[in-house]
Amino acid sequence: MNPIEVKNLSFQYEKNTRKILDNLELTVAAGEIVAIVGLSGIGKSTLCYCLSGIIPHVYGGIMTGHVYLNGRDTRDLTLPQIATTLGIVFQNPDNQLFSFTVEDEVAFGPENLCLPPEEIECRVTDALEKVGMLKFRHANPQQLSGGQRQLIALASVLSLQPEILIFDEAMSQIDRRGKKMILEMMLKLKAEGRTIVMIEHDLENLFVADRVLVLKDGRLAPFAGKLS
Amino acid sequence: MWAKMICLDPRTKLFMVLTVSSLAVFITNLSLLLCVLLLALAAVAFTGGNPLGLLKKLKKFLLIFVVIVFVQSIFTKGGQPVWQVLNFTVVSDLGLVRGLQMILRFFIIISSAAIMTTAKPREIIQGLVQCKIPYELAFMVTIAIRFLPILRDEVNDILTAIQLRGVNLKQIPLMKRLKTYAYLIMPMITSVLLKAQELSVAMEMRAFRAYPRRTSLRTLKMQKQDYLIIALCFFVFLLVVVLALKIK
Repeated sequence: MNPIEVKNLSFQYEKNTRKILDNLELTVAAGEIVAIVGLSGIGKSTLCYCLSGIIPHVYGGIMTGHVYLNGRDTRDLTLPQIATTLGIVFQNPDNQLFSFTVEDEVAFGPENLCLPPEEIECRVTDALEKVGMLKFRHANPQQLSGGQRQLIALASVLSLQPEILIFDEAMSQIDRRGKKMILEMMLKLKAEGRTIVMIEHDLENLFVADRVLVLKDGRLAPFAGKLS
Repeated sequence: MWAKMICLDPRTKLFMVLTVSSLAVFITNLSLLLCVLLLALAAVAFTGGNPLGLLKKLKKFLLIFVVIVFVQSIFTKGGQPVWQVLNFTVVSDLGLVRGLQMILRFFIIISSAAIMTTAKPREIIQGLVQCKIPYELAFMVTIAIRFLPILRDEVNDILTAIQLRGVNLKQIPLMKRLKTYAYLIMPMITSVLLKAQELSVAMEMRAFRAYPRRTSLRTLKMQKQDYLIIALCFFVFLLVVVLALKIK
């Protein structure tokens, strides 16, 4: 069973006549990094939302076809159920972080899962160690750099121990050093056997991917090196 | 220095705030109100705050306080006139008392609220959760506190954008300026809604509201000094209420 399987997925936003995703097919194997590129407004983030169950659970629209995570249809799962299987890091770290300390931010997910404090403590330490931010444990996330904030956003997802990770243009708002940190992190996670889907617009970041696909006219195709 | 050494539970601080602000509402006697204000300032100092700094900040509102006294005086019937203009009482003794009462209450409530600023926001939220307040409500408070500076920056960005288009807000007439400020509302609301939606999705993707309850990495524990302060608050509350009833 593959961690991600998408079958005949079509999606159309309400008040929009065009299908942004049209009979899209995708299979991602365990431990694989798949990069998805495409022009702005082509539907990359929409695909991300479909993979993570945000569509249809949060955003409305006409969705047909199926997205399976470890063989289970996202329609049949609730978002908190999905959260333990799949973690998503969004573009803007400012809209993901809301706690007053890094520790609280990373503990938020495990606390929601009603884990005992000792287990939460272990997960927080593990996640912060993985992203190399343990020394900032008691810092205010707002006082960190963009790259560091994105690493905290990643740590807060990792503390839920999901086996699938989605990076929705997670490197678009950070500097070169921050990008390097995130890319190195992706390779580490791949080595741990996690499955990663990265949505990218910067072709320089694609070297970490095992496969690069391009989203065009609502479908995915192998990337030939040029977007247009 | 000793104040910093005493680390009070945020629930104790909340109790102090409730005691002092309740007294401010119940009491009408000016000298008792003044005592409560001194008590509130002492509490601010005790919890590690800066009462002098607070008073300096309140100085900015001096003009508003003077206006409040006049307005109270004009609309309060009865009492002996203190200042009359053409048989119209501008300031009466009763109005003056009411105005002063209002100012003292304002001072007390602001001072008592300053007690809470000495607690860490995270601890306040945890305190609320441990007081059996639903955690969704407690998180609403966190997010409101956390996003206020972001919203302020947003307003400043929009104002800068308006000024970069050649509108000098300082030089245009008041009515036109107010109209310009109205243009802020739409982009502000749009931006706030988008941020709120993105944040709520990010929270749900981290299992928020997965269960009706949630655990906490850090929990608060009341110490001896907390129980002592709460008992003291009870005592002071009762004492001031008894004194207020006797003075009546």
